[in-house]
Order: sequence, then structure tokens, then C-alpha cells
Amino acid sequence: MKRIALLVAALLLLAMFAVACGGTTEQTVEEAANEAAETVEETANEAAETVEEAANEAAETVEEAANEAAGEANCADEGVVCVGLVTDVGEIDDKSFNQSAWEGAQQAAEALGAAEVNYIETKDAKDYGANIDLFATQGYDIIVTVGFAMGEATAAAAGTYPDIDFIGVDQFQSETLPNLTGLVFNEDKAGYLAGVLAASMNESGTIASVLGTDLVPPVVAFNEGYKNGALSVNPDITIIDTYHPGGLDVAFTDPEWGASTAQQAIDQGADVIFGAGGKTGNGALIQTAGNEGLWCIGVDTDQWETVPEAHPCLISSAMKLITPGVVDLATMSNNGEFPGGNFYGAVGLAPFHDHEDAVPQDVKDLLTATEAGLQDGSISTGYNPG
Amino acid sequence: MELTAPTTRSAATGWVFKNKWLLLIGAIVVGAIVYAYATNDRVTVAVLASTLRQSTPLILGALCGLIGERSGVVNIGIEGQMLLAAFVAFLANVYIGNLWIALIIGALTGALMGALLAFMAVTLKMDQIIGGTVINILAVGLTGYFYTAGLVTKGKFAPISLGPLADIPLIGPVLFNNPPITYLAIILVFAVHYVLFHTRWGLRTRAVGEHPRAADTVGINVFRTRYINVILAGAIAGLGGAFLTLEGVGSFERLMTNGRGFLALAIMIFGKWTPLGAWAGALLFGFLYALNTQLQFSGVGLPPQLIGSLPYLATILVLAGFVGRSRAPAASGQPYETEG
Amino acid sequence: MTTASAPGNRGNGARWLRQIWRGISVPLVAVLLAGLIGAVLLQISGANPLQAYGALFKGAFGSPEAIQRTLEKATPLIFSGLAVAFAFKAGLFNIGAQGQLLIGAIVAAFVGFSIEGLPAIIHAPLALLIGGLAGALYGAIPGALKTYTGAHEVIVTIMLNYIAINITDYLADGPWKDPSPTNIVARTPRIMPSAELPIFGNIPLGFIFALVAAVVVWWVLYRTTLGYEIRTVGLNSSAAQYAGIRVARTIILAMAISGFLAGLGGAVETQGIVFRYQPGFNAGLGFDGITTALLGKTSPFGVIPAALLLGAMRAGASQMQFDAGVAKEITDVITAFILFFVAADVIVKWLIRQRESDDEQVVLSKGWGG
Repeated sequence: MKRIALLVAALLLLAMFAVACGGTTEQTVEEAANEAAETVEETANEAAETVEEAANEAAETVEEAANEAAGEANCADEGVVCVGLVTDVGEIDDKSFNQSAWEGAQQAAEALGAAEVNYIETKDAKDYGANIDLFATQGYDIIVTVGFAMGEATAAAAGTYPDIDFIGVDQFQSETLPNLTGLVFNEDKAGYLAGVLAASMNESGTIASVLGTDLVPPVVAFNEGYKNGALSVNPDITIIDTYHPGGLDVAFTDPEWGASTAQQAIDQGADVIFGAGGKTGNGALIQTAGNEGLWCIGVDTDQWETVPEAHPCLISSAMKLITPGVVDLATMSNNGEFPGGNFYGAVGLAPFHDHEDAVPQDVKDLLTATEAGLQDGSISTGYNPG
Repeated sequence: MELTAPTTRSAATGWVFKNKWLLLIGAIVVGAIVYAYATNDRVTVAVLASTLRQSTPLILGALCGLIGERSGVVNIGIEGQMLLAAFVAFLANVYIGNLWIALIIGALTGALMGALLAFMAVTLKMDQIIGGTVINILAVGLTGYFYTAGLVTKGKFAPISLGPLADIPLIGPVLFNNPPITYLAIILVFAVHYVLFHTRWGLRTRAVGEHPRAADTVGINVFRTRYINVILAGAIAGLGGAFLTLEGVGSFERLMTNGRGFLALAIMIFGKWTPLGAWAGALLFGFLYALNTQLQFSGVGLPPQLIGSLPYLATILVLAGFVGRSRAPAASGQPYETEG
Repeated sequence: MTTASAPGNRGNGARWLRQIWRGISVPLVAVLLAGLIGAVLLQISGANPLQAYGALFKGAFGSPEAIQRTLEKATPLIFSGLAVAFAFKAGLFNIGAQGQLLIGAIVAAFVGFSIEGLPAIIHAPLALLIGGLAGALYGAIPGALKTYTGAHEVIVTIMLNYIAINITDYLADGPWKDPSPTNIVARTPRIMPSAELPIFGNIPLGFIFALVAAVVVWWVLYRTTLGYEIRTVGLNSSAAQYAGIRVARTIILAMAISGFLAGLGGAVETQGIVFRYQPGFNAGLGFDGITTALLGKTSPFGVIPAALLLGAMRAGASQMQFDAGVAKEITDVITAFILFFVAADVIVKWLIRQRESDDEQVVLSKGWGG
């Protein structure tokens, strides 16, 4: 009997926990907990007969409680704006594109007075479609999906739900759907600017880049732009670049590989390191910061904000501005001006922050001129995908 | 096992004869390094420094595995022990801000996981593969669930230069200008070797791992020996985890061990459950990784995926061609039941 | 799980029920205890455990689509779980199910997209078979290396996992890359409709195959000479040698069959879910096979409920995050504790006052020494 009492006590403890945070679900929660406790007592005392029946009952009650708690705002209602975001495989706080897109979704939701803004982190790439459906079936109005890998699932969902506007970050659209806009970037241009900066700051004759996998087109675009930008300043410069040799599932989450690779480059004379590859690249930035007198360049966002450990070397970042891009597209969607097709977001270099004085004026002028040249097409990055 | 079989030859010649392959390989390696250094000193130093660095978490993990198995407890939870220790050491670094205290806390976390493994394997007599798997999944879940972004650490260990030793060409910058955990790992290789093969405690440990019943009969406490070994081993794995957050990267990311714990397991077997053998394995791995990067640096026109397979292919070749059959401690993996 | 039977019929029925209760009581209580620990963690971190679990349940079983998702998640786990369990029976630790699964998945995709004009009744099974065989071949490598050179299968399978990732990434971004002008990413072309596996109602054909595979594995292990030899080698390879069993052949064959099962799992994923090979889409499935096999106590039939349990937690995780804002990693924590309590049945049996059973204690790591 003592053991059963222990079990029941434990379950009651759980019930108390649940009730403590109760609120709207208090009544049902207590019921459910009692039922669950009863269930256990019964199962323990007698044989298995009633197990499934009672368990189902308990589960049903639990489910009801959950449903009641969830449905606060009705996104399907006219005039109620809801913004949802499905991440690529990874977390919402990845200091990289998932996080930037989520910040964009939140800002957009605030600007549009949205009733709901919510996200789902994808753990298994096969869930892309199912996760989008979770928002779609709740009547969300704008759904942001992040990452090129989700392109196919997003296009399929856009066909199924013509009343919902989809923003596909990093998803190039070769066909135009009116309710799906790919937020894409000329990463090669940002990379080119980074390369110009790197070669201008370089003294040793060698610069390096430490990258995520070449399976991801934007990473390759950044790197090719970087190399050509550097060569445009100094045709004799040595550029040593390396992609993470592992697969997609590890290439962006291996900061120690990024760090040791950066050090290996530094040890053979590289004095500017471009770290482009999520957390792997962040490892390279932090490692570079641990050496005296070197520069590092971040990627995607202004990494001054996301990787403070790299401040000693972080001269700038090759940015693709996902956050404002998402805000712009969400606003257009709300105003009924959703463009469809592809929408090119802004790219460029992040501010120099504390290293403002370290960058000579002629380098700043060169960067300004290069940016203008890239803009009007007089300068080509030399990157040709496909 | 290191036997000193009496032979008719003198001790010195006997030793040379017995280790002729080892000596030959050593001579070739040294020759290649010297040649490479003469050709391109900077690249050679860079590759060798990277070799040592990348071998550090691997050898620490492998030491953890082999101490456990020498006492009869299989540990496939090294990955989880390292990941959790990396996480807790990172948190300690953030909130306490002292790297050395964080290092100790990381080791203690590993030891705690070791204690959990010992509890499952020794006390509950649970299957040890399951015990290790529990630790692996638990570590992924806990670190993933409780990690919050935006925590900024107060730096990481800087290299400590060992005075004049660090000025020796080639050897100096590679061996004598490293951060503390790297030194610690090298010391531990020899310490574990000494303890296992040249002390009473090591003899008892191996006895418990080979033949617990016999050990029990002569009065060795099997449970106690296993507990202590597995906990100490866990602390070493904890150092490996702390290496990642306190010395390697300086910050934590989910899943940042990236399979290093499993590689450590492979390296342990590769080294035939000896610290020195495992160190050779870890260095081989570190070197192949560094070489892999260097090949990409030098612009070999091969896809990175193919170059990336090199360390693993080479390991299989070395294993199948040179190392051959290996034998685990006899009682490894089996719970010990007291009689009666 | 049992269905409630007529309450009046005691006697034989009650005994039968008691038998079943003995079988399921430990896993059931293990799940409850693990759920309880998970609830405490959720509570500490400020979430509502009942709401979270309710959403998890809804996402896994709340609708026909949810059930389908659960079955889809469970399917590859059954295959990789069977693969790992089968190798365990031969005293081999196959950590390489992941690599074998990837190879099976991409080869099935190749057969699926490269052959045109076959009727579905031939094309789909052909792709499955060749995918499985590719996995078998890849699985046989560590077996052969073990028998001929003594190389330990744990090392070799770990290395082959990495190599498989590299091979598949290379193929998907190189020779087998989808050449259509709209594609810029690393993936193979979509397989022909004739190679796709259909869904019956909400039950994917792949799941039925998985169940059949479990039965076949059981039959091979316990009703054939080969199975007897495999189990004998697994228990004691030198005794097996003495008894006249060709140990080398048995080990290679066991690894090949294990690889076949994993490869089949990959093929089913390609042909039933993804419809092409794309890097990252099969991440972790083979590793989870280890968990599944251990949770199922390496029994072919134990693997099925284990895979369903893990599959359900995966299927429901998104709903849980959507409704309750709970990060998915909590399901890993719960999985770890379920595995713990199932394996540490001493604790559970003490708790529910069940006598120590005399069923065989599995010692998986016995074959560790090679």
C-alpha cells in the first residue's frame, strides 16, 4: 500500500503544480488530475482491464483543458491579424537567420497591431508542411517560413491556402504565386563589400574565410563575393577558405571546428577572418578575437549585437537585412500590396562600431564607391550561381 | 596489455625489437614533420598546433571511456557527459566569471554524470549501453531545454607560454604555448597510464575489469572500485566538455559536442584500451582534421565532401591494416552480482 | 495495449489479463513516472504541464491526420530499431544504422527518379529492394572488416556514418542533383509517381511494411537455423565456433541483414514521405534506432510500441510548442527517463509490488569485446 500511496502522492503533487498555475483551466485541471490519480490507483490495485478506458478519459479531459486555454484570439476573424513563423531546423534564438526573421515577425506584428504572433521550431525537416499547416488551419494571415530548404513545402502551402500570405525567407521563386513572396538577398554583394574591406585592412598578404557547408547557396554566394571583392583590391592576395566538411545537420552548429580552423588560418598568416556559417562562423569570430591585432568580419546580421565576445576584432559584418525585409513584406501584405515573386532585401556592411577610427578614410570612401557601383551594376561580384 | 616478457636478449634490444613497428612509424612521422617544417614552417606549425588542439577533447573523452571499461563499466554516454559539462561550465563562467572555478564545476558535472552511470550500471545493474544512452539523451534534452540565448561569457582561457621552452622552433609553438586544458590533457594521458599500469590501484582496477569474481575473492571491493573509477572518469570527460566552452569556443551552443564523444569511444577502442594508444589515435584524428582543412586552404579542386571523408577512411584503413583485433577488458559491460 | 474485455468472464480471462498486465505494467508506469518528472521540469520553467501534455497528445492522436503523422514518425524508427536490435542479437553493436539508412534513402531515390515507364507494382518494390540492398552492402562492410581484420565494428560503423553523410551530400549536390532550372539547392529530382508508396486512408503503406518487417525479423531470429546461429554467436562466439557454426559468415550476414533493415527504412522515407533525397531530411533517424531498440528491449515486437511512443512524442511536439509554448527538447528529457525506468525495472517493480520476473535479463554489451 505504501508504494501506491507514493505514486498517488506524486501524481497529486503534479496536480497541485498544475492548479497553482491554473487561471482559466482550474476547474478542468483539478478534475483531470483527480481522474488521473484515480486511474493510477485503480490500475495499481486491480488488473489491466480499466487501464485504457480510464487513461483515455483522463487524456480527453486534459485535452479539453488545453483547448480552452489555447483559443484566446480567433485568428480566422475578419480584421484580426495573426502572424506565424516556422523556423528552419534549429532554434528561434540561433543568433542567425531564424532569430532575425522572428524579430521581423514580432516587429511587424507590433506595427500591424496583430492579435497573435507565434512561432514553431522545426526539429525534423519532414515537418515543414505540418508545421505550416498548424498556423494555416488556425486562420493565421501571414506566415513566415525560414530557409531555402522549406521552399517546396511553402509553395505547396501557398497553393493550398490562397487567402494566406506567405513570406519565404531565402526562398528564390522561379514561378510567381500571388500570395507567396520570396525574401531573397544578393549575398554576393555583401560578401564583395566584406572582401574589399578585408583586403584593405590586410597587412600580411593572407586573408581567410571559415564557412558553413557549401550545400547552402547563400553561404557560397557570400564566399565567392568575398573572394572577388578582395581580389579587386589586391590581385596578389592569398585567400584561404574552407567549408565545414560535415553534413547540413552539423555544419552550422560546430563552433569548436570554426574556432580551431580560424586559428589554423591565423597561424599561417591570415590577419582578417570572415566567419560565415551560423554558430560555426561565430566560433571563428571569437577565436580571432583572442589574438592580438587581427580583424574579423561577421555575417547575416550586425554581429556586434549577437556575438559580443568578438568585439576586439569585429570590424564589420556582411549583412542581409532579414528583419526589415520581413517587416516590409508583412506591412505590404496587410495593405493588400503583397508583391508575390521575389523581393530583394537590403544587403550591406554593418557599422564599424568601436573600430570606426581604425578604418582609414580612403577605405571608407572605397567602400562607399563600391557599394554605389554594385547598386548601379557597374561593378560585378563575379558570382554566377547554378 | 603491457607485458614485460623476459627474453634472452638484453632489456634494451628486447624493447626495440618488440616495438619495431612503433619505432618505424615514429621515425617516419618525425621525418615527415621535419621535412614539412623545412619546406614551409608556418603551415607546419599551424597544422601541428591544430592537430594537438583538435585531439584534446577526443583524448579526454577516450580516457574517460577507457578508465570506465578497465574497471568493467562500458560508457557510451561520453557524448552526453561532455555536453552537459560544457553547458554547466559555460553557465558557471557566465554567472561566476572565474574560468578556473568554471573548470572545476565542469569537471564536477562530469563526475556527477559518472556517478549516475555508476548508479545505473553498478547498483541497479542496468544494461550499461542503456545507461549511457540515457545520459546522452538526457544531456541533449536538458541543455537544449534550459539554454537561453543572450548569455555572454567573460572570455576564455588564453594560451600560457612556458617561458624559454616556447621559443624552441617548431616544438615550442606547438607544444609549449597552449591553454591550460590542453596541457592538462597531456599530463592526464601519462598520469592515467602510470596509475593504471604501475600502481596498486591500477592493478585492482584492471582486476575488477577482467575478473571481478577473483578480485572479490582476494578482498577487493568491486562496487567501490567501479564507482570511484567511473566517477573519476566522468570528471575527465567533464574536462573535455569544459574544453569546448572554456578554452575552445568560449561560449555554448546546443549540440556543440557534435559527435566528439562517440569519436572518443572509437579512439579508445583504436588505442586498445590504453592511454598511450588512445593518445596516438586522438592525435591521428586531430592531424587528419587539420590536414582536411589545410587541403581546402590550398585549394585542391575536390568537393569538400570528398576531402571531408578522408579522416574516416584513413581511420578504417589504419584500423583494418595495422591495428587489427582488439580485446576489451573481459568483464566490461557486465554487472557484477555478489554471490548468494 | 489491451482492449477492455467482458468483465463477467473471470477465470481464464483474468489470468490472461494478469499476464498482459505483467507485460505492460513496467513500461506503463515508466511512462507515467517519466511524464511526472517532465511535468516538474515544465512547472519549474513556468509552463503548464497539463496544457503541454494535452497539446502533445492532441498533436499525436487528436485527429486522423495526427495519427497518420505518428505512424509516419514511427515507421523509420521501427526499421532502424529492428536493425540495431537484430545486430544486438548477434552480439554486435551497430551504431551505423544512420549511415546505412542514408545510403538506402539516396539509392532508393536514384532508382525512383532515374527509371521511367515502369508500372508502380514493379517500380516501388524495386526501389525499396535496391535501397535495402544498398544498406545491406554498406552494413556488410563493418561485418567483413571485423571478421577478416578484427577491426571493431563500433569504430567502423561510426566512421561509416560520417562517410555516408559525405557520400550522400556529394551525390545530392553533384551527379544526382536535381537539374531542373528552378532548383538551386542540393537535392535529387523527385521520384516518379510509380515509385511512391501509397497511403491507405490514414495508414501509410510504409508503416504496414514496418510491421511486416518486425514479424519477419522475429521469424528469422527464432524459427530459422540462421536465427539460431546468429543468437548462438551473439551469446558466445567461441562456443558457436566449437559447435560448428561458421562464425565469420554469420557475423557478416547479421550485419548485412541489419544494414538491409536500416536501408529499407531509408527507402521507405524516400518513397513514402520525402519523395526525393534531400540532405538533412533523414537526420538522426538511425541514431534514434538505438534508443528504439533499447526501449523495446531488443525484441522485434518490443520495437513497435517503442517506436510508436517516440513517434507520438515527435508528432505532437509541434502542437505542444504551438499551444503551450514549450520547447521540444522536453520530449528528449522524457524519453531519457522512460528509457531509464524501463531499464531499471527494479525500481518500478518495487513501486507496484510486482515480483521479480524470471524473464531473461538482456546484456547487450556482452559482444563489446569483439
